[in-house]
Amino acid sequence: MSQPHSPSADLLELAVPYALHALSDDERDTLEGRVVAAGSAVADAFYDEVRAVRETMAVVSGSDATEPPADLRRRLLAAIADDNVRVLPSKPRRRTAWMSAAAALAIGITAAGIGLWIRPPAPQPSTAQQVFAAADVHTISGAIPAGGTATVVFSRDRNAGVLVMNDVPPPAPGTVYQMWLISDGATTSAGTMDAEAVAPSTTAVLDNLGDSTKLAFTVEPGSGSTRPTGPLIAELPLL
Amino acid sequence: MDHRWPLAGAAVTQVLDRVTDGAVTLPGNGSDIERPRPVTTVDLDVLLRRVGSRDAEAFAALYDATRSRVYGMVTRVLRDRGYSEETTQDVYLQVWRTAESYDPASGSALAWLLTLAHRRAVDRVRAEHAAGQRDARYGAVTADRPTDHVSDEVIAGEERQRVAACMEGLTDLQRECLELAYYQGLTYVQVSERLSANLATVKSRMRDGLRGLRNCLGVG
Repeated sequence: MSQPHSPSADLLELAVPYALHALSDDERDTLEGRVVAAGSAVADAFYDEVRAVRETMAVVSGSDATEPPADLRRRLLAAIADDNVRVLPSKPRRRTAWMSAAAALAIGITAAGIGLWIRPPAPQPSTAQQVFAAADVHTISGAIPAGGTATVVFSRDRNAGVLVMNDVPPPAPGTVYQMWLISDGATTSAGTMDAEAVAPSTTAVLDNLGDSTKLAFTVEPGSGSTRPTGPLIAELPLL
Repeated sequence: MDHRWPLAGAAVTQVLDRVTDGAVTLPGNGSDIERPRPVTTVDLDVLLRRVGSRDAEAFAALYDATRSRVYGMVTRVLRDRGYSEETTQDVYLQVWRTAESYDPASGSALAWLLTLAHRRAVDRVRAEHAAGQRDARYGAVTADRPTDHVSDEVIAGEERQRVAACMEGLTDLQRECLELAYYQGLTYVQVSERLSANLATVKSRMRDGLRGLRNCLGVG
């Protein structure tokens, strides 16, 4: 249906640069908006072409195949064994399982937009309930420079905490906020929050505080990193 | 509807079978007599969906079936062993965390994985560039390809040759546009600046190049 000079032609000719990640982040975001606005026929044609490019490059990847160091496999399998972060699909599914009513009431927020899933499903009572019920419950709150506040309610006895973020602006597209528990010389990922998860309020359970003394926030690409690589946006002392 | 770029079909399936062959090959067994044979026909899409339900065994199998492709592509983009290892690790960690969002209707599992990996590699190249830490090597138009291809058991040599032949079939400008955009992480605007070509030319060369590759490789 698309003619060479139809209004959609300039959108379609950007499908290849889009599929090859050859647009700036701003251009990409603008383009995605224009494709949606152009209607389903144009969007279908656009994403058909994107898909074809990506399938082609998947085949091309065979020509550069190079065996990674064997140690990488060992590290990865160890990393996933300990990894409790689960980024849910964009379409909401099953996202209220662990967020106990007690925690929501105690903090006075709704459970909207939770982008984290902590494994295994919360036993009874939930981690959040245990934290709030703990004799040594502490609360630390700090302003995020970009806007909003982060509050951690935690218990050393329970070795866990609940993080609440209010009115924090969402991370830039293609990035997430990642939380890090920092102890003497060690930095451990405590989960990520994507744009959908951040607004307007977010909670996350921090399992296994260990001997961490700080909770730090960085901006990381994709779904997060194995160690902090992006800018530090805030730090809360867990003392 | 103009379906000039239909979904990849048999060609990708064929490639996946080869990948699968490699997954059950013990590296360095030194024997050419007994050809590796798949124990079972592993479907990457099925594996990826199992990873989405936190199946660590499926994750290991998916890693083994795809690691040389992912690491090879990432290495070609980053051209630094340390960065490439870190990025590859982050890619597979992201796979573990986001596999649930994989939708088979949007393409093959292999394309999903390599798209994710390429995105991260490009992000890393651009971040290093922005941080001024980019090595002078990144500036070279002609990339040094990794030479330590030890994965011929994984990816059949004939496939490597087929891709190389299809690349040779492109015009210099088409190939250069793809090299700069896909393997060096430049935006198409930067490609046009680098090549002193106008944007429309760069866009059409990229599109023609991809179409040529796709036809040559029999994707779709």
